[in-house]
Amino acid sequence: MAIDQRNLSVLANFCGAAADAMAFTLMRTAHSAFVKETEDFSCTIVTKDGLAFANPRQFGAPWYSGIDYGPLLRMFDYAEGDICITNDPYEGHVATHTPDIHIWKPVFWQGQLACFVVGHIHNTDVGGAVPASLSRSLSEIEQEGIRIPPVKLVEGGVMNAFVARVLRTNVRMPDQNWGDLTAQIASVNIGERKIHEIIRRFGYDDFMDGVEQILDYAEAQARAILARVPDGDYFFADYADEDSVGGKPCRIALTLKVRGDEVVLDYTGSDPQLGSSLNMPTGGVERHPLVMVGLTYVLFTLDNSLLLNAGTLRPARAILPEGTVVNCQKPAAVGMRSLTCAMTQIVTVGAFVQALPDLMPAASPGGNAIMNVKTAARNGKPIMASIGPVGGGGGGTPFGDGSDGAGGATGFLRNTPIEITEAEVPIRFLRYGLEPDTGAPGKYRGGLSAVMEFHITQPETVVTARNRNRSVMPGWGVAGAQPGKVSQFIRNPGQGAQHLRNTDLVACQPDDVIRVIGPGAGGWGHPFDRDPEQVLQDVRQGYVSAASALADYGVVLAGNAIDTTATAARRATRTIPPGPYSFGAERMAFEAVWTPDRYALLTAFLASVPVGWRFFLKHRVFDAVAAAPETADLPAIFAGLRARYAL
Amino acid sequence: MAYRIGVDVGGSFTDFAVFNEADASITTLKVFSRPDAPGQEIVAGLRALADRHGIDPREVAYFTHGTTVGVNTVIQRNGHDIALFTTRNFEDVLQVARLKIPQIHNLYSRRPDPLIPRNRVFGIDERTEATGTVLKSPDPEDVAQAVAAARAAGCAGIVLAFLHSYRNPANERAVRDMIADIAPDLPVFSSAQTWPIIREYERTITAVISGYVQPRVATYLDRFEEVLRAQGVACPLHITKTNGGVMGIEQARAECVQMILSGTASGVIGAGYLAQAYGYPRVLSLDIGGTSADVAVILDGQAQYGVGEVIGDFQIHVPSVSVSSVGQGGGSVAWIDPLGILKVGPDSAGSTPGPACYGRGGTRPTITDAMAASNLIGHTPLGYGAVTVDHTAARNALAPLASRLGISVEDVASDIIAISVSSMYAEVSGLTSRFGIDPREFHLFAFGGAGAMLACFLARELNMQGVVVPPTPGVVSALGGLIADLKNDFIRTLYLDVTPAGLATLPDAVAALQTTARDWLRSQQFSGEGQIRLSADMRYAGQSYEIETPLDPADLSVQAIGAAFHAEHTRLYGHADAHAPMQLVNLRLVIAGATPKPAIREIPVATAHARPVATVAAWFDGVAHQVPVYARADLRAGHHLHAPAIIGQDDTTTVVPPGFAIAVERFGNLVITPEA
Repeated sequence: MAIDQRNLSVLANFCGAAADAMAFTLMRTAHSAFVKETEDFSCTIVTKDGLAFANPRQFGAPWYSGIDYGPLLRMFDYAEGDICITNDPYEGHVATHTPDIHIWKPVFWQGQLACFVVGHIHNTDVGGAVPASLSRSLSEIEQEGIRIPPVKLVEGGVMNAFVARVLRTNVRMPDQNWGDLTAQIASVNIGERKIHEIIRRFGYDDFMDGVEQILDYAEAQARAILARVPDGDYFFADYADEDSVGGKPCRIALTLKVRGDEVVLDYTGSDPQLGSSLNMPTGGVERHPLVMVGLTYVLFTLDNSLLLNAGTLRPARAILPEGTVVNCQKPAAVGMRSLTCAMTQIVTVGAFVQALPDLMPAASPGGNAIMNVKTAARNGKPIMASIGPVGGGGGGTPFGDGSDGAGGATGFLRNTPIEITEAEVPIRFLRYGLEPDTGAPGKYRGGLSAVMEFHITQPETVVTARNRNRSVMPGWGVAGAQPGKVSQFIRNPGQGAQHLRNTDLVACQPDDVIRVIGPGAGGWGHPFDRDPEQVLQDVRQGYVSAASALADYGVVLAGNAIDTTATAARRATRTIPPGPYSFGAERMAFEAVWTPDRYALLTAFLASVPVGWRFFLKHRVFDAVAAAPETADLPAIFAGLRARYAL
Repeated sequence: MAYRIGVDVGGSFTDFAVFNEADASITTLKVFSRPDAPGQEIVAGLRALADRHGIDPREVAYFTHGTTVGVNTVIQRNGHDIALFTTRNFEDVLQVARLKIPQIHNLYSRRPDPLIPRNRVFGIDERTEATGTVLKSPDPEDVAQAVAAARAAGCAGIVLAFLHSYRNPANERAVRDMIADIAPDLPVFSSAQTWPIIREYERTITAVISGYVQPRVATYLDRFEEVLRAQGVACPLHITKTNGGVMGIEQARAECVQMILSGTASGVIGAGYLAQAYGYPRVLSLDIGGTSADVAVILDGQAQYGVGEVIGDFQIHVPSVSVSSVGQGGGSVAWIDPLGILKVGPDSAGSTPGPACYGRGGTRPTITDAMAASNLIGHTPLGYGAVTVDHTAARNALAPLASRLGISVEDVASDIIAISVSSMYAEVSGLTSRFGIDPREFHLFAFGGAGAMLACFLARELNMQGVVVPPTPGVVSALGGLIADLKNDFIRTLYLDVTPAGLATLPDAVAALQTTARDWLRSQQFSGEGQIRLSADMRYAGQSYEIETPLDPADLSVQAIGAAFHAEHTRLYGHADAHAPMQLVNLRLVIAGATPKPAIREIPVATAHARPVATVAAWFDGVAHQVPVYARADLRAGHHLHAPAIIGQDDTTTVVPPGFAIAVERFGNLVITPEA
């Protein structure tokens, strides 16, 4: 049956069902909490050329819907019953850090290649320098655990025992990895069977043609959305607080170039690749999923009926200069690329704010800390557990408040129940919930940040907080709203409190108390335009203090009611911040020194030196500018450095 | 003489199934539901039973009822204002939930507003550790303040959900007693009493839903009881349960979460009972109404159980009959998107205004209209003069779609059916993967108003063994309630190491649970011993999830329990580790008291060929056929019909596309199998 506009929905439903079946099988048979609780996995069906055309409808990590497996697929000739594997971020540019183990299986029909069924699981540990394999302190890929180059794990139905043994030998919890890998194999096998059923129903030729139409349909939908975005070049940059342990700010810059129904995401101006693990191994692939996440979110937000697959991304192209944090070279470490990926999402939303000021929300702030505890039970047995994400809420939107506790681009993770953690890890929680006054005031406020506080009971306990960010520069507000609050990470709050800022690893002893408050999300619209009733409701719910109601929202409360006259008087005069964004004092101060002009000079200079020197030289330039922020002459600093290091 | 009656109140119709204990026969009856005057449908039904079948209400010895009042209260959010008391500093449990937002790609997406807003949540200064040790007992003064605040906020009840109360409910009990002293009029819902499972959000939301719907459910059940007593029904009354069993009306009034899925569960129980009696060991049940299609897996007559069934915007975490719901029903609307692609749903015309062809004000084209425009329904009178099918209205509703696509009305009709069925296929495919079963080994058991209309189309896509349409598909839910066993679930969290020392306390725990279970069964006025099923949620130490493992109460040794777990692990994952240390996390027990079952009767044997009552021109997949229309009442055991065919009866129409063979077997089922 030929596929056309009448029955495209039928084929799309069948293919979506096949991807769902893969995800259900994975969740039913996998072993690790990453699959069962966090849902950090993907199950995808890709064309014979590698383009994703079907994804599960409700499950899995949201970043990979438009992935292109092509570079990996083209490395082999295939026969029925083959299954390939890799987790190497530097081969094929599909895996993006070592814990993500990808596999792919060709699907044949009567001897002809039809498509591939593929997927990944984030493994809890793949060996390397630190438990769980991830820390921003790591500086080369070799420290981040075993790397399996693309290889046939199963050839003609026979498992390559050597590959399996090498994997098991090099990880900390081999049974868990093996259980998850077995589940992945079960998942692609189900996918293959489902595809066979679909081809039997539609016929090989119509299936092959229909799959292309599914991609074309998603492309047409995406183009229709983009066509409504005014043409223009929209520049936006934002900064991760630190580019390494105790480092300098890390800039992600984006020029969004909208032309008709197409868009270019030019990341020129982003920082050079780093000596920490914040680098993104995109290989410069122009539709690499990691740099397209923000665009996918924006398009889907504008039209919830958008089909998400590789076709969705066809109207888009990214420019990813080599040797930068968005396209690093071997052997740069990449484990914490999620922190940087969050920044690319933020700048994408930020750039779209200029194009669609009435439709775009404030971005969620990023810096969603993944908290882990490594300790020992009373009997000395080692314990390592993820105790959940602690981040900010969603940004305020033009139509309502941001989601509390988690939202926007970082709303896809599930938490770990307090009772589960306390039953398995010897720590005691003192508090978990929402922190009042952390949603930035606005006509629609940011979502409140999550707060977690716990008491350490065992000696030599190590608390890790991956992805920590926004301790220095807050997330921004939109259209007259306030910027977010900075995040907090404190040992022993109160007297003698130690502020740990963006530290991602802290050694603790019994009686220590750890408190984490996620970075606050920015609001949308001027807080004086917020309905006073809503402000009163927020005060009643304990989300906003009476002090903030008065100072930020200009709402005067008299007991349990609004003093209407006093409120009107207070709201009569307001200072309207210039431009669509409110950045907060910290960022304004930084950008007073590090102006766009200086950044342009720095970018050009660093691009002209060998990749291995860039991170080092960036730090030297920052140090030199810090010594004389107002008068520093960048060309002179560059010349000095060139002379000194014979560059 | 005594009668046993099961009643299922649906949105449009109320179904009665009456079991005559004297000869084990079943009588069925359908009346209009009266959402405007609940209870009047019961009166009407009892009168009709008396008039038509001579059934005296005073001779009714057993009465079961399934209702959607609980689930509707959550969906419409019209429950009463109640308060939640939590452990202090953990008051945001409902706001935070499990953190994930509903649409992970949508920057506007927010979790639904909780049923209890934050200003009616009060933290109590108390704390229990994960081991069950009480660190801080609640203080009466602190509790009194919270109660006063809850009262001031207008709360009509209080839910208690403290950390680790599944392990040790002492603090919840203490606070409940304090409230009983100072505010005896306020109903209290303790999470440990409702369903004591680990995971604070899941336990809390389950208790919150139970408390939220309670006043409304209790009022409804009071009125229901009044109506029955006024009609002379004097026997104990039973309500069908979320777990597929039944319980006394007293328990239903207090523990509402146990009856919240009463209606959907009894349909599956009825289908399971019939499938087993008819000899179909592997069945997917398909119940299609106006807005949704419900599918469930039935193995050897047994429904499958799970937790996390969806109630409105939320999930409940008590053991429930596992039912998968697709947003595709007879009223789902077909439309063309801006890029010219034909789509069906998720919008539904529901039962009001309904499909265009029902002539009740609906104009948008629905799946039912597609069936009517293909001339596949509306040839025999549907039950009770409730609806007539206007074929012209159906074609008119579809015409704009056809002209936009540049095809005929019949073609667009067949496309709409194919798209709708592919949505059902997607859902059922997910369900079968979740349970790890292969639909090709299953029959599709069709019931409800529209199940038989679309079952063959779905079975064809899933390559199933065939379709079974029981003699009276409309009353399967009422029958399910009637034959359901008295049944209750129990759980205790123990966290034991599977070692001789670790299991030392297990026999006492099992004995205590057995005693509690038997007491429950006695409280339901059941005279026999009841059947007990014991199991445990177990895992290898270090795993983050448990597997339910059947236990033999007679042998609770480390060897027996270990062997049972290794076997279950092997069954699910294909491997086990005989040397790894194991943990027993929860002990579970299900007790069931069997109720009498009706005899399944054979129908008369055919003596001549079946004769169609009409032959109509109808379209399948856009191709015109001359299709015979049969009256179900004319069919006899041993009849074989050729597809395509249409079989009409009071409560449904069975539509069979070309490529199937139809047999009427001895119990009167239509068994429709693909032709080789």
